[in-house]
Amino acid sequence: MKTQKKILLVEDEEHLCLLYQEELAKEGFKVTVANDADQALEALRKDRFDLIITDIRMPGKDGIELITHIMGQRKDIPIIINSAYQSYKDDFMTWAADAYVVKSSSLDELKSRVKELLGSQ
Amino acid sequence: MIETYGLYLGDVERDAPKELVLLSIIAQSYFQPFSLQDNLLVILTALTSGSGVGFNRAMLLRAEGGRLKGEIWLGPATPEEASSIWEILSTPGIGYLEIVEHNRSLLSRHGGTLTDTIKGLSFPLGENGLHIPARAVERREIVMVKDGRNEPEVDRRFLDVIGVEDFLCIPLVMRDEIQGEIILDNAFTRNPITERDIKLAAICGLIAGNYIYTATLHKRMLEMEKFAAMGEMAMYITHQLRNPLVTIGGFTDQLLRFEGDRRKSHRNLEIIRAETTRLEDIVYKLGRLLKLEQKPPAPFDPGPVLRAALEDPGFQAKSRGRQVKVRLPKTMPRIMGYPTQVGEAIRNLLDNALDATPEGGTVYLLASGSDPRLFIVKVKDTGRGISDKDRERLFTPFFTTKERGMGLGLHFVKRIVESCGGEIEVRSREGKGTEFRLCFKKEERGTDE
Repeated sequence: MKTQKKILLVEDEEHLCLLYQEELAKEGFKVTVANDADQALEALRKDRFDLIITDIRMPGKDGIELITHIMGQRKDIPIIINSAYQSYKDDFMTWAADAYVVKSSSLDELKSRVKELLGSQ
Repeated sequence: MIETYGLYLGDVERDAPKELVLLSIIAQSYFQPFSLQDNLLVILTALTSGSGVGFNRAMLLRAEGGRLKGEIWLGPATPEEASSIWEILSTPGIGYLEIVEHNRSLLSRHGGTLTDTIKGLSFPLGENGLHIPARAVERREIVMVKDGRNEPEVDRRFLDVIGVEDFLCIPLVMRDEIQGEIILDNAFTRNPITERDIKLAAICGLIAGNYIYTATLHKRMLEMEKFAAMGEMAMYITHQLRNPLVTIGGFTDQLLRFEGDRRKSHRNLEIIRAETTRLEDIVYKLGRLLKLEQKPPAPFDPGPVLRAALEDPGFQAKSRGRQVKVRLPKTMPRIMGYPTQVGEAIRNLLDNALDATPEGGTVYLLASGSDPRLFIVKVKDTGRGISDKDRERLFTPFFTTKERGMGLGLHFVKRIVESCGGEIEVRSREGKGTEFRLCFKKEERGTDE
């Protein structure tokens, strides 16, 4: 049996976290939620993840700062940016991420990016 | 020996050289607030005033929509008027402001003014075979016309309007953009136009072109600022709307797929309900952004308003785990403003204070009426504080450090306090806490108290 791939979701919207968690669990992934960048860095210290999905606008450090931190430590984890803003795509710092998905009421694109990057299912 | 002079030198002597008079007239316009109409009038004044360059009449045509159109024509309308004007203008003690004032009154007269006769005047630009005056500005040349009737290159209609055979055309061009043209003549004195007059007029033309260009740039800049602010606003609104929409869409899809049991379906519907309320709140706040109280502020007792804010169930629930310290004077003066809005402002500040304060921290509501004119309300917290960078934008609409915040709360607070005729100040130290100080005006009473 294949081991379950682990995703770290960095998002401070409670309902969105719940939705993503349920939807990605259905695709066979295990999702851990961090509500801000500090919680995410803490989770990364404690555990191994196969993929990170992060929002950009969050209280405290924003998603771009988080990515910069992660890139400095672990270059091998794929990162998906999931933001309500299309415009951050123009910020070259977001190019460091492996994919940029604008938040949408259909989760199809997010799911297919996750599958692509994890090369599974 | 040291001699000092005021920056504003005033009018130069009447026998000073024309160049000095001209410079002085134009320089004085810089001491007035910028108004394109007035500044152009100053140039035309400099060109026509007896003490300036001394042309009899000056006509301004402005380039607009690919055409050269009549705008202002300054000078006496008849020989009789001319002699009376020159009599006035040669009165000792007449200065720049009087000349400008006089010219303004000439312009504002109804009927029979020179400007009325050129209101419909319009010549196309940018075509081949143009006649003078359009040709002068199209070719960027100063043109001196003598015996205009004998020159086929001069527009006949224009000759009929101007009514003289000799005139000078000064194109107004800035950065190669056509701004307009000034046309000068000596219809009454019939003095010949000298080379020195032409040179002085050319300088005036450069300055007038610059005035028009600056005004255009200023207008463009204001429009760009407006667009930039609208773009920023649209971006924030997009973000605010997208999160609840994603949640509503996602949980609706789950319902449509008939996944899970009744309990999960019920939970989904509750989330959808909550997010819909949030969307409504966003729409309400956006509506509020455009409209605040328009009646004049009236006196009211702030006591019940402050106490109601503390008793608010939302505040009570949120303050659990934090200390709330309150110090209100026993008797409170009546203050000027709007009780409902002031209550909203206080609730908003208390809510922010709780957001910023970790468990175990303290939030304060303090009020004091000891100042003879002002009633001061302070909302303080021992929370994370605000960085200098964020403090600058604190009251800007849509500026927020919170994910779920609209960035409108503090903007409303400031607008409410200011609409009451009051002031708001903020002091903050990062890691220590923040204090908002609201100063409201006390009700003014008679001296018989």
